[in-house]
Amino acid sequence: MINLMKADLYRIVKTKGFIIFWLVSFLVSMLSIAYHEPGGIMLGGDFDLNGAQKMDIKQAAMNLVYYFLLIMPVFGTITAEFTEHTIKNTITSAVSKGKFYFAKTVFALVYSLGCFLGANYLFYFVNRAVNGSKYSSTLGEYSKVLFGQFPVFVAIVSAFVFLAFFFKKGAAFNSIVIITPLVYSLFISIFCEIESAQKITEKLVEFEVSTMIGKLALGCSQSYRTDCYIISAAITVISCVLGYLIWKKREV
Amino acid sequence: MREIVLQTKKLTKSYGRSTALDHADMTVFKGDIYGLIGRNGAGKTTMMKLVSGLTEPTNGEYSLFGKTGMAAENEKRRIGCLIENPAFFGNMTAYQNLRYYCYQKGIADRKQIDEVLELVKLSDARNKKFKTFSLGMKQRLGIAFAVLDNPDIVILDEPINGLDPIGISELRETFRRLSRERGMTLIISSHILSELYAVANRFMFIENGKVLKEVSKSELDLECSRCIALGTDDTAKASTILERQLGITDYKVIDSHEIRIYDENARPNIVNRTLVQNDVDVMKIHESGVSLEDYFKKLVGEVKS
Repeated sequence: MINLMKADLYRIVKTKGFIIFWLVSFLVSMLSIAYHEPGGIMLGGDFDLNGAQKMDIKQAAMNLVYYFLLIMPVFGTITAEFTEHTIKNTITSAVSKGKFYFAKTVFALVYSLGCFLGANYLFYFVNRAVNGSKYSSTLGEYSKVLFGQFPVFVAIVSAFVFLAFFFKKGAAFNSIVIITPLVYSLFISIFCEIESAQKITEKLVEFEVSTMIGKLALGCSQSYRTDCYIISAAITVISCVLGYLIWKKREV
Repeated sequence: MREIVLQTKKLTKSYGRSTALDHADMTVFKGDIYGLIGRNGAGKTTMMKLVSGLTEPTNGEYSLFGKTGMAAENEKRRIGCLIENPAFFGNMTAYQNLRYYCYQKGIADRKQIDEVLELVKLSDARNKKFKTFSLGMKQRLGIAFAVLDNPDIVILDEPINGLDPIGISELRETFRRLSRERGMTLIISSHILSELYAVANRFMFIENGKVLKEVSKSELDLECSRCIALGTDDTAKASTILERQLGITDYKVIDSHEIRIYDENARPNIVNRTLVQNDVDVMKIHESGVSLEDYFKKLVGEVKS
């Protein structure tokens, strides 16, 4: 399994996805650093960016951009094997189907989350160096925010891994993962129009992915934080177990 | 006694109601170049997928190097495979693709990459991206991948597809070298009988998922070569007369009713007359001899009827 991960690391740095990930992360970070304003993607998340927090914390609240950027590492690690049909080379010569699943899942998680942390810390240190303490918090404060969001990103990557093994085809995987947050927002809009479903709507908004990422960065109640972590843990476990069970039954 | 490296017992694979492989028995000995012959959709690839672990059998079992179950799983590292079309990462070069698999298989010696590229005559294309390869080059890279870590068994599914005549001839020589110099056991499938016949020493004929026959090359030669087929009730007496009175020693008693005479000088009319004069009833006598294609057609026909 370690050999499989070493091989993936050797290959992944040669993919276009790797270059695009770092290029987009770099551009988003540099724009924020240059304009002293947080930048990224928002999906109408329910949080306030006008608080007293420093720019780097606000930037972390906009980390939804990594939902979309982390599609690339998972795509490169898993779906590329199916799209290029190279999976049969691996399963006939290196590992069994079960070990393949574990190796790919662990590598996708470690690699994706490594990219997430690496890109965020890169932003932090460059921002600190360029803009000084006026626009940046201490390393401890920033790390606390990042690791506070970490379970949500573990859940996101786990769900991506499950979908990659489920759909196998790159096009289907990409379509589904890109559209999911948008469809979720659409559901919220529909529920908003139903008076009797106000409570459900509130919950849906509260635990919408960009809201969770934003609130966990900018500050929230302990109970909300706990709820976010429980949901993230549930998604992570269900994705991994369900993915394995489905994968074991699938023909290569 | 020769060592059995791969054996299947009543191996069966069904997809819903359709049976791709039906109670298939196969025995491969160490050093064999084993030819799997069958039409498209006969079950050759399914057989290869099963023994290489790409799919699970519905029934039956197989042993690898005398081991079954989980122990056989661990022996799969001793197999190199090229199943269906060769597949590699298009944006990586031939060298990079093989290096990727070196990492996967834990091969530290990078020289092996150049060795196998040289073996399949792809040294000049080592830095070309896989997506720019011709079909023949892709096949050869697939073979290079299959033999990358000097496996004991190499399984090649239709390896000559897409190759030009010179490529086929070179590949044939490569197979012989792998068997002779590296002691590899090769299992090669094809629907091109003449090509398999030129390289293999044992054959399995397969049709509609059923194994029709497993024969050695000498047995196949014997069954396909020109002969006089003689039908009689008393094969023992007929044999004695053939040897003592006609001096024919190159013959084979097929069963209790049939003798096949391979002696090129034997003439059916003389054999018939001599046997009848010695009170041996001759039920039938005719010249026989079939091409490989006809032999395969006959086997398929026998199963259908």
